[in-house]
Amino acid sequence: MVQKPNIEDLSGDKYKYGFVSDIEVETAPKGLNEDIIRLISSKKDEPDWLLERRLRAYRHWLTMVEPKWAKLTYEKLNYQDLFYYAAPKQKAKPKSLDEVNPEILKTYDKLGIPLKEQEILAGVVAVDAVLDSVSVATTYRSKLKEMGIIFCSISEAVKEHPELVKKYLGLVVPYSDNFFACLNSAVFTDGSFVYIPKGVKCPMELSTYFRINAQNTGQFERTLIVAEEGSYVSYLEGCTAPMRDENQLHAAIVEIVVLKDAEVKYSTVQNWYPGDSKGKGGVYNFVTKRALCKGENAKVSWTQVETGSAVTWKYPSCILAGNNSSGEFYSVAITNNFQQADTGTKMIHLGQNTTSRIISKGISAGFSNQTYRGLVKIAKGATGARNHSQCDSLLIGRTCGSHTVPYIENENKTAVLEHEATTSKISEEQLFYCRQRGLNEEQATQLIVSGFCKEVMQKLPMEFAVEAAKLINISLEGSVG
Amino acid sequence: MLKLPNDIIVKETDIPSLGALRQKGKAAFLSLPSLKDEAFKYTPVQNVLTDEMFQPSSCCNHFKECACEKNKLDFEAHCFFFCDGTLHEHFHLTEGMEALPLSEALKNHEAAGHINKFDATKHPFAALNLACLEQGLFLRIEKTPSKPIMFFYQAKQQGLKNIYNVILLEKGVSAEIVEIFEGQNEAYFTNVVNEIFVAKDASLKHYKLQNEGLSAAHIAFNRAEVKSNGCYESYVFQKGGKLSRHELEICLLQESASAFLNAAYKIKGDTLVDTTTNIAHLKPFTTSEQTIKGVIDENARGVFQGKICVAKNAVHTKGYQLHKALLLSDGASVDVKPELEIFADDVKCSHGATCGDLSKDELFYLRSRGICENKAREMLTNAFLKTVFEDISNPNIKNLFENF
Repeated sequence: MVQKPNIEDLSGDKYKYGFVSDIEVETAPKGLNEDIIRLISSKKDEPDWLLERRLRAYRHWLTMVEPKWAKLTYEKLNYQDLFYYAAPKQKAKPKSLDEVNPEILKTYDKLGIPLKEQEILAGVVAVDAVLDSVSVATTYRSKLKEMGIIFCSISEAVKEHPELVKKYLGLVVPYSDNFFACLNSAVFTDGSFVYIPKGVKCPMELSTYFRINAQNTGQFERTLIVAEEGSYVSYLEGCTAPMRDENQLHAAIVEIVVLKDAEVKYSTVQNWYPGDSKGKGGVYNFVTKRALCKGENAKVSWTQVETGSAVTWKYPSCILAGNNSSGEFYSVAITNNFQQADTGTKMIHLGQNTTSRIISKGISAGFSNQTYRGLVKIAKGATGARNHSQCDSLLIGRTCGSHTVPYIENENKTAVLEHEATTSKISEEQLFYCRQRGLNEEQATQLIVSGFCKEVMQKLPMEFAVEAAKLINISLEGSVG
Repeated sequence: MLKLPNDIIVKETDIPSLGALRQKGKAAFLSLPSLKDEAFKYTPVQNVLTDEMFQPSSCCNHFKECACEKNKLDFEAHCFFFCDGTLHEHFHLTEGMEALPLSEALKNHEAAGHINKFDATKHPFAALNLACLEQGLFLRIEKTPSKPIMFFYQAKQQGLKNIYNVILLEKGVSAEIVEIFEGQNEAYFTNVVNEIFVAKDASLKHYKLQNEGLSAAHIAFNRAEVKSNGCYESYVFQKGGKLSRHELEICLLQESASAFLNAAYKIKGDTLVDTTTNIAHLKPFTTSEQTIKGVIDENARGVFQGKICVAKNAVHTKGYQLHKALLLSDGASVDVKPELEIFADDVKCSHGATCGDLSKDELFYLRSRGICENKAREMLTNAFLKTVFEDISNPNIKNLFENF
């Protein structure tokens, strides 16, 4: 019989994005205070109103305490021991990709995002790449510009489209929203800005890759998407980080504003470094994502594949304010080794005839713990609201845990709500069936898991679906047997 | 109003174990829960509890009236009466049962060993109950009784009714216990703890009918420990009180232990009914099933918080939970939190929650057969709740539920 490898031997080393790129970085001194915030702001040449907002957020943050309600245990972070600004050294703003530091391009190449090629080849994806704190390159801008679509880094947007940024930044997630969002509002460094004008259907997938490279840095990016009346956009986000023994902090905000008849699809493949097989290192992923369906018939769909991060605290939410608006949340979360994930969604129905759908698939293996935490709230005025939630969990091995904590609050009698959740392990019969047909245990498990996740994976754009499917298999390697 | 532990005055006693329990309760009571406490997130106790509710209830003399309740029963039963929180001590001891007032029982060490087997700091009202410990029944059932055991709780005056019962089922015993809570429209607060021990192969059917006065608060903490092959089965129907909470904590301590909860509530006015459950599967082959149905009318509010915990290695566990609510009016609301916490892989656990109005098709069906709307609505809501009590095996008790 073939000796099966232990869990410890595998998994941790499977993180193929764990390399460190040798790029000279410019950092602000460690620690957090008003001077650092002023420094970040001046580095980015920001207008006074933005600095004012940052300082207001920082002062408010000082009065807040870190939330403890999530089912997560992690070493308390020392917020004074982090770099809040790290940027690749560059003399002037690059005009084309040729001027970008080749080492950076190589990094993204290794990650499977050939920025350069894309400029040449007629690709289908426009990419904004964010390294540590700064957006390094955005492709396809000119082509998008012709259609009136703005796709650039948020710091550029502040300069070039201040009226839009001023109007929408902080509209969906105000600085006082929660501890991590408040921190982000004070120190956010970069991120993507997308603006789709009225009636425009964005012809390609827009995508951002986030990468933490420098040591001891926190990454605080901020994404703002505005979809005007009748527009459509599909947006992808990918994240990776090098393998380090220390825990890295990632506290991002994503805000989406969807106006009448518009639709936004937001897909994430989150593959931050999960820590090694002993639970050492890894990224702390504390993210606030929220979409506001402001107009009638607005539609938002969140799709996420969560395989990375040592600790995940993330609840992509939809505020369904416009009548007939709809929100969707599709999630696959996989935890292995000592990963912990507390993730889910919030669907807040305010408008009439609003609908929402939640499908969450959780797979825990190794010593990991996973929690689905979701809220469905039907306000008094949300006549005819409809929600269906389904949360299924799969447990692999005897040492992991899987938890489901749904909150359902209904104040309207015409609303129809359904919630279902199941937890089980892979059934012996299914395994036996596959093994009979010549698959080994690991292959059989992979097959069953991919079937389990299929409902969600189908919602991912093509480009991501293949990568995500591979990622799931890598994440689970060594967890069987 | 009593908010802090300092507000509790612990009475002196010459029974050492009673004194120790009171001190322990006081130490465990940190404060009255607020909406920030996860367990009371949807139940604003501080808005309902008033000063009068914490006044000690004077022992009244209407035992005779209370005892008349027994005559209303059309079946034989062993009866215990609590009038305004005071146990009517003149009960007859019969067939294989040991029944003592709790303070009496505490003179003996064995009874003391069966009190407060839980972490009272997590249950503020149980802690408060311990700190004010005085009234209650210690009941040991050694042989299967031939008749159901009835607990009548009557409240006629304002004030605190603090009751702590300990119920022990010995090996192989099957028993039926029915609790009936009734009260006048006074500002009183019933704070009950039932600590139940189901031994190997024993089975307890625990029934509860709650129809407290509409200005009253009712908080009941029921805790059951079930040993191997033991079974705790519970039927609860709540409809009274301004605020009422039925909390059930079950520990399935040994293999093949099982627990069943069938609860219903039918509320209107400004009533709030909270059903909170926490079922811990600690060993393999344990089973639990919960079905909770609620009908909410006018400005009433229904709350359900249910938790199924499966401990590490408690494999081959089955845990099911279902909550269904019907909202009948524009002011009605419901808050539901069905929770699963699972640390073992070979389990089958599921929960479901639905809420909505009566089905238009069903209403139409009845109306097209000449039934007026109000009648049709009543028929449908009754049918909705009836299924909860369908499995009650004792026809006399089933009758009580159906005519409640």
